[in-house]
Parts: sequence; structure tokens; C-alpha cells
Amino acid sequence: MPDRIPAFFAPPSPAYPSRRQFLARAGNGFGLIALASLLEQQGLLASGGYRNPLAPKPGHFPAKAKAVIWLFMNGGPSQVDTWDYKPELAKVDGKDLPGFDKHTGFFADQVGPLMKSPFKFERHGQSGTWVSELFPHMARHVDKMAFIYSCWTDSNNHSPALFKINTGMSRMGFPCLGSWVTYGLGTESQNLPAFVVMYDTLGRGIPKGHSQNWGAGFLPSIYQGTALKPQGQPIEDLVRPAEMSPVQQRAQLDLLNQLNRRHAEQNPAEADLAARIESFELAYRMQMAAPEALDVDREPQLVQRLYGLDNPKCSHFARQCLIARRLVERGVRFVQIYSGGMENQLSWDGHIDIKGNHSGFALETDQPIAGLLQDLETRGLLDSTLVIWGGEFGRLPVSQKGDKPGRDHNPHAFTVWLAGGGVKGGVQHGATDEIGFKAAVDRVSVHDLHATILHLLGLDHKRLTYRYSGRDFRLTDVHGNVVTSILA
Amino acid sequence: MIRSLVIVLLGLGWSQLLLYADPPAPSAKEPLDPEHAVKMARGLDVFKKHVRPVLVQRCLRCHGGEVTESEFDLTDRTHLLKGGLAGPAIVPGNSQASLLFHVVNHSKKPRMPHKEDKLPQEAIQHIALWIDLGAPFDKPLVEREEAVAWTKRVVPPEARQHWSLQPLRDVQPPKNVANHPWVRNPIDQFILDRLQQAGIEPNPLADRRRLIRQAYFGLLGLPPSPEDVEAFVNDPAPDAYERLLDRLLASQHYGERWARHWLDVARFAESHGFEHDYDRPTAYHYRDFVIQALNDDLPYDVFVRWQIAGDELAPNNKLALMATGFLAAGVHSTQITKNEVEKHRYDELDDMLATTGSAMLGLTLGCARCHDHKYDPIPQRDYYQMLSAFTTTVRSEIDLDLDPEGYRQARAKFDAEHAPYQAAVDAFVRDHLPSRLAAWETSSASAAYREGQVWVVLEPTDLKSEGGAKLTLRPDGSVFAEGNNAQFDTYSVTAKATLNEIRGFRLEVLADPKLPKGGPGRAGNGNFALSDLRVEVLSEISGNNESRPVVLTRPRASFEQKGLPVAHIVDGDAKSAWAVDPLFGKDNAAAVECGEPITDAIGKGIRFTLHFNNNTGHNLGRFRLAVTSAEYLDLRADSIPADVRRILLTASEQRNDAERQKLLAWYGDRDAELQRLRQAAAEHLKKAPKPKIVKALISTEGLPAVRLHTQGEDFFPETYFLRRGDPAQKEGVAPLGFLQVLTRTDKPEERWPVQPPPGSRTSFRRKALADWLTDVECGAGHLLARVIVNRLWQHHMGRGIVATVNDFGTRGDPPTHPELLDWLAAELIRNGWKLKPMHKLIMSSATYMQSTAHDPAKAARDPDNRLLWRRPMRRLEGEIIRDAMLALSGQMDTRLFGPGTLDPNSRRRSIYFTVKRSQLMPMMVVFDAPEALVSIGERPTTTIAPQALLLMNNPQVRNYAHGFARRLLATEQATWSEVVRQGYRAALGREPEAEEQQASEAFLQRQLESYLAEGKTQARHLAVTDFCQVLFCMNEFVYAD
Repeated sequence: MPDRIPAFFAPPSPAYPSRRQFLARAGNGFGLIALASLLEQQGLLASGGYRNPLAPKPGHFPAKAKAVIWLFMNGGPSQVDTWDYKPELAKVDGKDLPGFDKHTGFFADQVGPLMKSPFKFERHGQSGTWVSELFPHMARHVDKMAFIYSCWTDSNNHSPALFKINTGMSRMGFPCLGSWVTYGLGTESQNLPAFVVMYDTLGRGIPKGHSQNWGAGFLPSIYQGTALKPQGQPIEDLVRPAEMSPVQQRAQLDLLNQLNRRHAEQNPAEADLAARIESFELAYRMQMAAPEALDVDREPQLVQRLYGLDNPKCSHFARQCLIARRLVERGVRFVQIYSGGMENQLSWDGHIDIKGNHSGFALETDQPIAGLLQDLETRGLLDSTLVIWGGEFGRLPVSQKGDKPGRDHNPHAFTVWLAGGGVKGGVQHGATDEIGFKAAVDRVSVHDLHATILHLLGLDHKRLTYRYSGRDFRLTDVHGNVVTSILA
Repeated sequence: MIRSLVIVLLGLGWSQLLLYADPPAPSAKEPLDPEHAVKMARGLDVFKKHVRPVLVQRCLRCHGGEVTESEFDLTDRTHLLKGGLAGPAIVPGNSQASLLFHVVNHSKKPRMPHKEDKLPQEAIQHIALWIDLGAPFDKPLVEREEAVAWTKRVVPPEARQHWSLQPLRDVQPPKNVANHPWVRNPIDQFILDRLQQAGIEPNPLADRRRLIRQAYFGLLGLPPSPEDVEAFVNDPAPDAYERLLDRLLASQHYGERWARHWLDVARFAESHGFEHDYDRPTAYHYRDFVIQALNDDLPYDVFVRWQIAGDELAPNNKLALMATGFLAAGVHSTQITKNEVEKHRYDELDDMLATTGSAMLGLTLGCARCHDHKYDPIPQRDYYQMLSAFTTTVRSEIDLDLDPEGYRQARAKFDAEHAPYQAAVDAFVRDHLPSRLAAWETSSASAAYREGQVWVVLEPTDLKSEGGAKLTLRPDGSVFAEGNNAQFDTYSVTAKATLNEIRGFRLEVLADPKLPKGGPGRAGNGNFALSDLRVEVLSEISGNNESRPVVLTRPRASFEQKGLPVAHIVDGDAKSAWAVDPLFGKDNAAAVECGEPITDAIGKGIRFTLHFNNNTGHNLGRFRLAVTSAEYLDLRADSIPADVRRILLTASEQRNDAERQKLLAWYGDRDAELQRLRQAAAEHLKKAPKPKIVKALISTEGLPAVRLHTQGEDFFPETYFLRRGDPAQKEGVAPLGFLQVLTRTDKPEERWPVQPPPGSRTSFRRKALADWLTDVECGAGHLLARVIVNRLWQHHMGRGIVATVNDFGTRGDPPTHPELLDWLAAELIRNGWKLKPMHKLIMSSATYMQSTAHDPAKAARDPDNRLLWRRPMRRLEGEIIRDAMLALSGQMDTRLFGPGTLDPNSRRRSIYFTVKRSQLMPMMVVFDAPEALVSIGERPTTTIAPQALLLMNNPQVRNYAHGFARRLLATEQATWSEVVRQGYRAALGREPEAEEQQASEAFLQRQLESYLAEGKTQARHLAVTDFCQVLFCMNEFVYAD
């Protein structure tokens, strides 16, 4: 039985010691454990008693995607510098954008002229998709991806926009996509959390809004994401007290089991008591299973290199991508990985020096993501795994003034791609205007995006509801249209 | 397809980019066509007959009716011309250039109507014709009156028929079961009547061990001690149980236990949430208010009123002010962009109103923000009129005296204690100091002062600043600079020589609170940089007389900044200087010697020139000059002001009273005995009590709001009716008003709203809301009472009479026992809204006291136990599980109130953990504690493996087990048998059964041997710790019923 938790995360960075305070929440909600099937197998359930809210459930209709890996480019990557090729923008480089509302972005007093992308674009794949030179590795996989160029959102500010893309609402307190999916489908994994979140391990902070981005809102808290802590034990309370041996803990559980069974026999109608007895056995097994799932050192060198684990520029993100694959392989339903830390230069939030900022974060993510797509495909997991790439909003075609110009927030347009389970590869949906400022053709709202993702998982966004405070809530509120053109 | 469209767009040319920038204002200048009038007349005709019906039927719903997709509103011509995200919809007179024509004609994307059948060809042609004719409207598609009708909507009388909106009925307990032996109070009559109708007999009473345990956990959230259990079990008095309840209700722990229930409902937290989740370090006062109010049994209607408007209702009552933290407890974005200020403010108002609705009235008012409530008779109009109560309400921090009376008493006591110290000083000055001065004057010690062998402070007669600073002389002889702080100033100070022979000078640089960082310099950091000190002797004190420079040597200083030594002030280098970084806010000094002593100085003048050429604005702020006739006098040698020295030189009998007093005062500062007495008095004074002034977060009006990084206003002066909840679609100011269905008067505007008293900084709108909420005659008082008694019932019985405790609307569950609910609510009002009598009433019922025993036959008739034939078993909350373990560990710190902590090792009760939204305590969250974002009336109860992991592995849990083990091993006869027995009695309130005893003892022995085999020195303690932890993990431990 493995005693050690693999040291798969980077050592703490002295630059951000206060980060620890954000993390205490992480690791809760490691609740996504399928008790019912086990209980039923062992005949512990009184008839009609305990119902496990995490038991695997069929969707509303058959679907290919069983699991989701959401690669979240935190801070808002620039569409015109990544995937949304805008030759017209180069032609008007340096000119003012007439009629521009200076409050569109965050810094109203730093609005510069239109600015062409500092990156070269080329066509790739059978589909001839334009890709920025930022992504040489991902460019090889464009025929797996369906691009939505016409996404837009409500807010020009990080945390409302993060809440929006994660929960469908720009206010705090609503369940996120991962929670809805887990609520809708339960989990296949017997002893791992169903919904796992990973964020920056280089000490650059946690996304704005913190754990609210993977919170369950008014759904029961068992549906919230389990954030792996980037240092120390990745999951709370997974290691038994140091003064105790496995044998001694086992003896404890044996006594507990004996005493609890007497109590349960005296209260035969209480299904919760039986469930609680089993939860200790499950917990005991999780102590072994979770470290094993997170231990990427067990992977062959070849696989590690495919993700870029040997490259110090991207090894941190590569590790997380590889963990994501190991989790999905073991039945975890939903994995979200945040690239970048809290804000500004610590994330994709390229207010200053868009060229330097995006070059850096592209280098951190390009090979790991390409490796993940390749690995999933090789293992036959891509058909059942939906991979999503995107951020919380886009960036402006005008520059943000400075020695090295950047780009400010843009809620009117951003690009998202999807690949894998049920997605038609090499497809392009929607378009922005000539300069990539606003989504103009076949606009896709966040609700539309959510509706599409749920659809790919076999869930009808109009039927996936939860009664709270007198109302049947949906992830998509009263909106949402499935983007059918990207469906395989 | 997309590519071709992009090319089409490109073909429009650069100027068309404007389409995608923010749209221009509607063009006022369309070229006037000579045929204008004719075309308009025809166009109007086409519009009315053919176009309008199509637009209304096929387009309006999504574009200006129910919603405004793509920001395109076609309800009138202005909006049509303005267009939406894709730019202007029409070019009047040119259908072929009009986007509207192309999208309905499907010649451009997006094809309209969206995902519906294409319009009939005839309709498309009519639209084209109408555009070609100038696209005139006779009137908007939606009438203005129609558009604002919702702001005046009156709910029909039948809307009030829903049970919870009805006044309380006058119900009596069913008499037919009044004499049944099971019945202990009227509650049981209601319950038993229904049970008998269903053919079910309720359970008999639980035994006393169970009763005391459920009462302790129910009211205090703590386990009873074994002694408490035995005393109660063996108490033969018929009122034993009643006395137990009285004792528990009087415990301070009652407020701590029940406050947690209310804090869930109040979505209480101590951080702002959103992006940074900044702390609200002064928010805990609201938690303390709730605890105190419950312990004081503050009437519930007052409890509610203070939370809404305590600052208006009782502005001098600290509890009433703390109570307004209720409104302040919601989230608040710490970073609001200009474009989102107003929207966010409406979100914040919504949080206040929605929480008030859920918490106080069990109504989902928030559902009426964008449209009339879909299910309950709550029109959107009522929502905005109630929202208006909070229009100018903001979070603010105030100084709060937590205990004014306590301070007054403590201060009086202290003043009495302090009086003797001061009296001793006064008596010494009066009785002994003059004679001691006289003795000193005759002693040799005084000679140095007379002869000027100490520092003699100068009395400047002339002060000048070349840079325009204002230099003033202070009574202590120091010079203070203010006003203009020139880049490089030069001061000159002239004084009359009072010593005949002068050998040295001292420059003191002095701290002063008025200077930056306390000085002594005027630079931003408190520094100065003296580049040169020059001294001249003047033949006469005034006039343009002859001056002779004095050569200065042997500079020294009490401190020198690195690289800026005092030698620089006499080195002849105009730039190099002396400075004192980092000793800001402190006194320092420099001294120099005269190269040749100045002789025959009396009557001459001395001029000092201080040059500050080294660093911008680094001029001195406060300084003092002194001279001495001693050679190379110590910097720290004593000094005497020139005027005091003159008195000293005067024969004592020639001194007047003022001079005598002045000398005495100066001497007193040097008298060792007096210093000792003064020191004693000062030391004592340091122990003086201070008023308990603390900062407290409240909600109020007219005080500065707690501001973070918002780019706009904290509030807007008016609340508007917002169409579809959109701040961009205002429909007039919403006047203060209340729920129509909970208003039983024709003139609500006369009953509740009041004018604020003259000079009031608040609007008194919240007072009106509080009055309406608690008004049992004409307002919401009856529902208010129903909702709170239901919450009491819920926490005692496991489920509310209305199971949806936060939703008494039509979508909520109906009450299982409506008559009982009304009877309890009426009982609460009859009892003056006191909660403690209600607790006692419920807990004294057989319904509460019956056992949890399950019975298949009864369950067959009532599987969900809705009729309450048994007491349900419930798992304790995370807070209470922790508190119980902490109590058993013997480590609990039982202090009440005060700031919370995030330290998991805290030994205080769980209610004192700080609720930080991004950092909720793992032990609470894993056991289903809410996220403090919205009102939560009922926590879910999940059973998940992480709870087991926590109890097995968490370091704090292990620590509690260690503490419990130490207590069990502390007794004399800590045999295995006794350890098991005492462990059971403490943790579970009962003796172990034989099998349990045997298994536990065997376990202890096995663990002991196992630890011994590992060579552990604490093997016995570790074995008992393992056993204690097993007790914590037991189902019986976390299910207290």
C-alpha cells in the first residue's frame, strides 16, 4: 500500500506565500464517491432507503462523450492572436477605431489604436485551419477540433466573466458546468472524485473568484469540484496519522465496523447508517487509489515526453494534462485545468506586452495539450472524452498603450474549440467582424456553449433542472441553443 | 459559407467597420425626398395593413417584446434605425441596402425568424416596399402604456387565497384526543388527532438517557457530562425534565448553538467574495448580535426589525446597530468596472431583498426581478417597490462602544485608585521641593548651570527662511518650519549671546508629529540634509553691523546616516550634508566647537546659517540651538533655557513669584525624588481602563460606504422599475411599497412610510419595511410568525411542518399540519414573540419526547413519517460534531463573542470560526455546511467518504482523541474496563453493553501490544487514543437522537 503521496506538484514559490490562504477550500468536496452500487452489492441497503446521488446515471439520450477535460486558459486569451485569423486587422494597424467605447475593456484611459497580431498565421491540416505560430504542436491536431469563432459573453471583468463561463451566471453562487454534469450523470469512478480541478502550480495564484468557479452553488455540495492542492497532500486528510501503522488503523476500522453494525441492527430502517458504515471502508480504499491515480511517475518515459514532462518550460502543465488522462481513464467524469495564475502577467491576461505574455503561456500549454490529444487518441479515449479549450473572454483588436503594447479585455468575441467525444473535427462555426472585435456571424452565447457541451454528453439542457427556492433552475437559465454544426 | 460572408463584409469597405463598433446615435438627417409626404402616407398604409402584423407576430417576441436578442429592438422606428449588434437594420428608402430585408429574405445570415419558417414571400415583399417607402411607423409596436402597465399592476383578490398569505386562523387543539394518556400538551393533540385518523399509534417516550442527550444537542450542541446524565436519570421529581429544559435554555451555549441556524438563513460570511474575497474583519459583530439576542430572548419581531433598520429604530443601542449586519452579509464585488456599476448595485439590492424575503417571510421575492413571479402572486412591481427600501443603504464601518457602562464603572474605580499617586506628587512639590531647590542652589552641582558649563538654550530674536518657509519660535526654544518647503532652503537664526565666553554650539534636530513621518526633516520620509552650518559673531544684535565668521571644528552627532556624516556640515563643500535616515520621529543632535573661543560675547549677537543644498525639500522641520562655555561638552549634557538661567543668577530674594515658580518647575524635572513619584504615577496611569471601542460593519445610510476597487458610485439616488431586470430599460422611479398580497389596508402609504425626522441621515424607508414585516394587523406579521415557528419545529423535529422552510409559496410543500402551524404562530405572538417559551413548549410535547423506534406496520401507513409517529434520527452538523469532540477532549475554550479565526487548531466553538467565503472550514464543508452565498434554510445531509477520511486522518480530530484519552487515563483506576466504561458514558451517555465492552477491551489490548512491539513509549496512551477516535467515528456519536 503506497504511503507516500507523489510529489507531482512544484515546490512552493517564495514569491507568493499568501497563496496558501486560498487553498484551504481545495480538497473538499472529494465527495464524489459511488456508494450505492457497493452497498447494493453487499446487501446493506434497506429497500427504498439510501439513494446514492453519485451513482452513474444514463443521460437523456445516447451520446459518445462520457468525460470532459476542460483546458481553461485563464485571463482571457486573445482570439486574433491565437486562432481567429484577421488579415484585415493588419491593414488598419495603427489607425484609431472610430466610435469605440473606451469602457469596453478595463482600462479606459489606456486605449490605443488598432494593432495587428504580432504572430504569423498559417493554414494547417486537411481543413486548412489558420493557426497562429504560437501553437506549432496543437496545429497538427486541427482536424480533430471544431472551432467556434463567434463566442461572446456579458462582462468585461474577470470574475463575473469567469462565473459566467463556469456557471452561466455572472453573479456568485450558481452551480458550475462540472457540478451540473456530475449531478446529471453521476460518476463512473468507485474511489476517486468525480469532478477534479487543477490550477497553477507555479505559485501564480488561483483564478479570480477562487473555488466559486468550481462550486456547486445550490446543488448539494457533493457535486462541487475537488481542487487538487498544488503542494503538500493534493487531497485533504488522505494520509493516516503518522503515529499509526496501516495495521493499527485497520484494527480501528474493524472495531468501528463491529460496533456500528450492532447500532445499525438496532435501527434497521436507517439506510444512512449502512451507508456510513460503508463510507469508512471506501475511505480506507481511497487512501490507496487516489495517490495511485495521481502518480504520473508510473507512466512510461515515452508518454511523459509526449506531454513535455521533460521540458521545464511546460512540465507543470504537462503533468496536469497527464493526470487528467489518468483520471478520465479511471472513470472521473469532469476535469478542469486552469493555465495561468490569478491575473495580469501571471495569466493569459495580456494587458502588457501581448506578444511576450502569449508566447510564454503558449509555450507552457502547446505541447502538453497536443500530447494529451495524441495520447487520448492512441488509447481510444478521445471518442469518449470531450476536450474543451478556451478562456473567460477575448481581447480587443485595439492595443492597450504601454512600452510593450498589450490588449485589454473584450467581452464581445472569443474563440473556443472542442475536440473528441461527439465533435465533428475540422469544422469552423461563426465569425467575428473583419477586425475580430465582435462576434458577428452565428453568434454563440455562453448558454449556447453550455447547451452544446451538455448535448455532447447526452444531456438536454432544458431537462437538466434542479428545484431550488421554488424554481426549477437550469445551467442555461431560460436560454441556450445547441450549436449543431459542430456535432459529428 | 462563412468565408464568403466575410468577403461580403470586407466588400463593404473600411468605413463599414463602424457597423461593428458601437452603433452611432440614430441619424437625425435623412435626405428629404420631394415625394416624402406621398411615400409616407403609402408607407403607413402598407405598414398598418401588412407589415405591422408580421412584425408583431413573427419578430417582436425576440426583438423588443419579451427579450431583445442581439440587442436589436424593433418596437419603434428609432430603435429600428439604431439597429443591434449587427448594425442599423434598415436604410430608409433602400430595401436592398437594408439588413432587415436580407435576413428575412434569407439572402444574408442570420436568417430570420431564427429557426422558424421563413416569412411568406408576400410578407417579405411588403417589408421591402415599406422600407423603400421610408419605413414609417404610425405608432410603436408596443404601446407605451402597455409597456409600463406592469409597474402599476394590481393583484386580484383571489391571488391572496394561497394558504400562507391568509391571516392566522383561530384554531383550537382537537378536543377528542385531549384526554389520551400520550398527550402532554396541545401540540400532541394536533399530532395525535391526525395519527389516529390514519390508524397509527405514536411511539412511547424515549428513555431519560436519550432525552437528556437530544435536549443537550438540540439546545446547546454539546454532549451532557456523565454526571448530568446520571443526575437527570435518577431525579425522581416530576418536574425533572422541565427543570432540565429551563437550565439548558438559560445556558450561554444555547445562543451559540441556535445562532448557527440563523446564520445559514442570513447567508452570513466575513468576506466580500468575488475576485479577491477580501476580509470583513469587523463583520463578526453581527454573529455576536445573533448569539446575544437569542440568549437574551429578544422578542423575534424586534430581532427582525433591528436586522432591517436597527440604525433607525434604536441608533444608540449597540445590538440594534450590530443587527444591521444582516443586510451587509451578502457578497460584494471588489472590482467593478464602469460599465457594471449600476448592474452590480441592483444585484446588491437584490441580495438584500431576496435574503429578507427568504429568511423572514419564506418567499422567493428574487424570482420577481425580471418578470412577475411565475408561481406566486408577486408582481414585478412589488419587487421594485420593496427594493426601493434599500436604495441608499450601504455597508459602513462605525466605532462601537461595546460596554459603555462597564467603562464608566471601571474608570471611576481606577480614578479613585489613581488619586493617591497624584496627591503624593502634589504634596511633595508643595512641602519639599522649595527646600530641596534651595539646598541645590547652595551645592556645587548648581555652579555649572550658573557658569554656563551646560548647554544654554538660545532665545532667537530673528528667524529667516530664504525659501519662504514660515519659521516660528516655540516656548521650548525650538524653531518650527512650515509653509513653503523650498527645494534648497537656507535658514538664518540670530540670538543675543548670554554667555561671556562661548566654546561650543549644539544643534538639536527634533521630532514633531506635524512633520512627515514625525520629522525632524520636511522631506516626505521625515529626513533632512544639512549641508552647511555657519556661525558669525555680530558686533551688535541688530542693524547692519560688522560680522565675523567663527571657525567651527570637531563636529560630532548622536547619529549619522550612512554616507552623510556630520563632518559634512563644516567641510566647506556646499553639497555634502548630514542626515539621519532612518531615525525618523526621533530626536538627534550635533555639536561643534569654536576654533577659538568667543570672548567678551555679552551684548553681541550670534547668527547661525543653516544651508540645505543637498537634496530636494530636505529642509529641517524643527530644531533648537544652544551654546556652552564648556570645552567639548557632551552632546547629551543637561541644558538650561536662557531665561531660567537668568532667574538662577538672580538672588533668590529678588525673584518674583512667577520667576520662582518657573525655576521650581525647571528644577523639579531634575529632582530625583520627585521623578520617582511622578514615574510611579505615570506607570499606574498606563493601567487605566480604556473604552471598548471597536469597529463594526453595519448597514446604514449617509455614512461613507466601505469602498473597494469600484470605478463608480456606491449607490444611486433612486431605484427604478427595470423592464426585464435590465438597468438599461428603466420605467420610472419605483416608490417605496410592499407586497400587495400581504397588505390588508387600503392606504398602505399612510400606515408604514414615514418622513425621516429633521436632520436624519437615513431615509427611514427601511423602518417602514420593518414595520410592515412585523405588522400583525395589516402587514406581513402573521406569515413572519409562521415562518419562524416552522424553523423552530424543523430543527427540533428534523423537518418543518412546511418542509420547504424557505419557500411558503405555491411551489413550496404544503404544511403537513396547517392547524398546528397556525396555533404555534399565534402562540408565539401571544407570548410577545419570545422564542424560549416556544422551545420549551415543543420540547415538552410527547411528539418531541417519543422514541425513534421504527415500526414496519406504522411505516406501511406513513412511510415518510409525515404524521410524526416516531422521532426521526438525524446526523449532527459538522460544527456540532467538532464541538462535541472538542468538549470531550477537555480542551474547549468557552469564551463568548469576539473576532473569529481561521486556525483549525482553535479551541473555541465552531461558531467562532471566521466564515471566509473562499476558505470555508473543511470540517464544516465536508459535513454539508452552506457556502454562505444565499439564504439556506435546510442543509442537506450527505454520507460521503471524505467525512470518513476526515474522522480517520484529520490532525485536529486525532488531537481531540488524544485529549479525550488523557482524560480517560487521568483517573486512578484506568483499567481497560474503566476506560471503555468511562469512554462510553462520556461520548454516548450510556454504559457499554457486554459485547461492546468485551470487543473494546480486546481492541485496547491488541493496540497496546502492537504499539509496544513498535517500541512506542506512549503505547498505552496511543491505544486509548485509537479507541477514543473509534467512539468519534461511531454512528451513535454523530446521530444524537
